[in-house]
Amino acid sequence: MPIDKSEIRLDKMLSRALQSSCVPVPPDFTDKMLTRVREAEEQRLLTRVVMQEKLALAGCIALGISIIAAAAVVPEFAKNLTGQAQTFLAKISQTAESVRCQWQFYTILAGALLLAVYNFMELLSGDS
Amino acid sequence: MSAEAGKTLCQDWLSRLSAGNHTAFAEFVDKYKHSVFLCCRTLGLDDDEVEDAASETFLAAYKGLSQYKGRAQLGTWLWRIAYRQAVNYLRKNRNGREQLLDEPSEQLADNKQPEASAAIHCKEQERLIWDAVRKLPRLWAMAVILFYREEKSIKDIAKIMQVRQNTVKTYLFRARQKLKEIIQPRLGEDIDADR
Repeated sequence: MPIDKSEIRLDKMLSRALQSSCVPVPPDFTDKMLTRVREAEEQRLLTRVVMQEKLALAGCIALGISIIAAAAVVPEFAKNLTGQAQTFLAKISQTAESVRCQWQFYTILAGALLLAVYNFMELLSGDS
Repeated sequence: MSAEAGKTLCQDWLSRLSAGNHTAFAEFVDKYKHSVFLCCRTLGLDDDEVEDAASETFLAAYKGLSQYKGRAQLGTWLWRIAYRQAVNYLRKNRNGREQLLDEPSEQLADNKQPEASAAIHCKEQERLIWDAVRKLPRLWAMAVILFYREEKSIKDIAKIMQVRQNTVKTYLFRARQKLKEIIQPRLGEDIDADR
């Protein structure tokens, strides 16, 4: 079958003519897109943080409920838990007493610790 | 620059793009925004709708870039997203797909006055052809632009438009017939004779 030359010419003409762009694009489109992308990322980050908070809250509630349930179901567990809480409170009061007796030493230690934390934070903010 | 160095540079750019680098993404938008706008416009969206659909396209691309495996060319992959976004936009806001095979309302309005074809300048010829393409049904126009302008294969066009390859061939065949019918009275001598 002979090739129709006018068809080939039409193809060439279409290819050539359609290469020229004719759709106007707003000049600030790329900037707008970058802004939208940043907003979307912030939104995604926020959603993740909210989800983590919700999970943490749910975990605390679940732990509380399970401890109460365990104490209700197994009285031995409740007794043991109370004993441990009393020991813990006693240790806190012992620690407070120790700090009160050696307050000069602990004041110097706290000052050194604060200075270290401050330097560390400054180092981090300098990097960013 | 050697071809190997160019390829490495391109791969580096692609990996930065997939990693969510904003500079690479800005380059990506700059490179393809005209194609995306053209896609949305060809499917019949107006100025505001085009910008919305194009934004949605690039946002979807940004989210999907981490999953882009490089099986298709990046341009073809983006055209596919743009096409889907524009069609979805039409479905949501207008009557939907059946409109895509309708002819635009201003159809063939100024098609009847044959002029002295030899005198038509190259720019004028381009304008006439673009006008003629705009008068085609959207899907035919889309196939024509992808084939002649973007130089995509029938297989790629079928993937972008989510139709069979034979359907693309039919669109192209009918579009060529229609284009010839529209532009021949004006560009007849250009088509029939060697330039």
